[in-house]
Amino acid sequence: MPRLLPAKGRSWFRRSGIGGQLLSLVIVMGIFTIGTKGRYVSGANLQVILSLAAIPAIISIGLHQVVVLGGIDLSVEGVVALCVVLVGFLAHNKFNSNDVGLWIVPIIVGFGGLAGVINGLLNTKLRIPSFISTLGMSWVLWGLAVYVSKGQTVPLLKNPLSVFVNGTLLGIPDLALVAFVLFLVIQIVQDRTRFGRYLYAIGGDEVLTAQAGVNVDRTKIIVFGIAGLFYGLSALFLAAELESAQAITGNNLLFPAVTAVAVGGVALTGGIGGAKNAALGALIVTALNDGLILLNVSPYAQEAVNGFVLVTAVALTIDRRKLGFIK
Amino acid sequence: MSVKIKKTVHSFSGIFLKILALLIAVAAAQSVSFAADSQTTLAISIRTLSSPYQVMYKVGAEAYAKKVGLPLDVLTTEANSQKGLTDIKAEVARTGANVAFYIDPNDASDAVPIAKTLEAAGVYFVTWWSKPADVKVWDYPHWIAHISFDGLAAGTYTATELFKTFKTPGQGKIIALQGRLGDTPNAERWEGLQQVLSKNPGVQLLQWESAQWDRTQAYNDTKAMLVAHPDIDGVWTANDDMAMGAIQALKEAGLSGKVLVTGCDGIPEMFDAIKGGLAAATILNDGKYQAQLGLAMSLAAKEGKLDVKSLPKKYRQFEIPAVNVNRENVDKIVHDYLEATPTYDLSDFFGQWSVAIP
Repeated sequence: MPRLLPAKGRSWFRRSGIGGQLLSLVIVMGIFTIGTKGRYVSGANLQVILSLAAIPAIISIGLHQVVVLGGIDLSVEGVVALCVVLVGFLAHNKFNSNDVGLWIVPIIVGFGGLAGVINGLLNTKLRIPSFISTLGMSWVLWGLAVYVSKGQTVPLLKNPLSVFVNGTLLGIPDLALVAFVLFLVIQIVQDRTRFGRYLYAIGGDEVLTAQAGVNVDRTKIIVFGIAGLFYGLSALFLAAELESAQAITGNNLLFPAVTAVAVGGVALTGGIGGAKNAALGALIVTALNDGLILLNVSPYAQEAVNGFVLVTAVALTIDRRKLGFIK
Repeated sequence: MSVKIKKTVHSFSGIFLKILALLIAVAAAQSVSFAADSQTTLAISIRTLSSPYQVMYKVGAEAYAKKVGLPLDVLTTEANSQKGLTDIKAEVARTGANVAFYIDPNDASDAVPIAKTLEAAGVYFVTWWSKPADVKVWDYPHWIAHISFDGLAAGTYTATELFKTFKTPGQGKIIALQGRLGDTPNAERWEGLQQVLSKNPGVQLLQWESAQWDRTQAYNDTKAMLVAHPDIDGVWTANDDMAMGAIQALKEAGLSGKVLVTGCDGIPEMFDAIKGGLAAATILNDGKYQAQLGLAMSLAAKEGKLDVKSLPKKYRQFEIPAVNVNRENVDKIVHDYLEATPTYDLSDFFGQWSVAIP
């Protein structure tokens, strides 16, 4: 830790839990700013970074709480796929006369939440490890999405959501503002509510927490449910952004989200990290990818860079004492 | 969970497992009896049913299966080469090798293990799109043919049409989106663009990204590239799904209709985009025809009506032309191919032969 900062600054750096990440972000942005001769921090590019980071951030904020519990949620892509297909069916579209207007928001978010609750039930009541249960759910929901949509793409017509996803408020993309509000809400819940205490207690030591009388199952189901809500919301925004609904919209969302969660400092072993870590992780990953594109780094190298970043982030954040034998 | 519920769950899972085992045994018995069945099964192995273009394979295959009165199995790799190979092996086992295949390999390199598997089982098959250049179809007696649409012609055509749309035709700047870098059609279409670029020194390719054939990724990549290059005249993409993503990004940047895009595949939305002045051109790869031709050839070989050994090398790996679509002929194409399905002449397998793949 640099001795450049006064003692107070240094202790905040250690205690905040995001000091390292903020430093990484500054360094990464610094490198790209120099490399692109300032274009990287132009208003236009910062706007793009914020708008591209919003949806991954929303997904990461949903996903990270499952990770804090000590589990993992691999159902993102399946939930998003089915939710997007539902949007195609219910929102103002080219193929049928449905138009549920703004009701699409509670319907889709609710549906995502329901999928999340089922994930939670599979994990707690049927005692299926979250790795398997969420992976299985993903395939089931994805398969349903493809079956229901028959592989067709449904073009969406004018609806209030499309206007929203492209709008800005004082130069900040509306989507980024939504992500920020959601981060604040979840962070406050984690810091100030009993539920938040339980979340970290279970992540730290589930056995002791259960013995202390906490309803571990209920907390877990709620956590999975919240994750599902967030996936549903992101599905809605994705469909509105692309003005079309297809089952493959969900593809390639999981890896960036897990990367974001790990890079942000949420330990895959559980008990450590919060919404601020997840959101910041998504921002760092997006800023990194955007910078690679702006710098015209060879696309052949970009995937390798992402992989390297993920491995490094996990290596630096996991608590090896918890793992015993590394499998 | 209470002890009572635990016990119920325990015994439930015990019963559940027993029922599952019984079902598996019944299914296995059924499949054994299928093998003894003299009816050939038609099978297609494709990447996915979630892509509007790939779904056309299934549509065409189903129409053909109905016409010849045979059962059809649709296998999807879901972009997983291992799954693709495993499913093919399982299908061969299930049908007792009484099957005729049409295969679109997930990756060019998959063609070899697939060919070895089916050759060993004595199953006839036709492949499309992707195979390694140094692997020759004539080395495998049961590999009837590898067919592809002329990707080079596709990339050349769309690039040429795109450059015509510039304020000063043949003078301008473009960005580009490639598909999966390991796919043969991607490499061919990209080569087409490169050739047209070299003939048009006034056009500059500023940057390209690989959007993996995916609409969302194309949208994200285009958005980022537009920051680096706000002043472009066109966007070349290797397929229509990516083109649609690029169109969305251009819309947000206020460049709709001013900066056009091109793609490939011929999905309905792309035709609408061309009609609406948002896109310049695309190529209609008739997936329905692909599947029907492939299955017809496999079935004919299996029934002894097509003598694979006697085919000249040029008929073992070749390309056929696709349909070029631009702003002038889009209405006619929509009428002929989308609103109706043309009746395909499957009697002459090599009637559409345009060029051999060396």
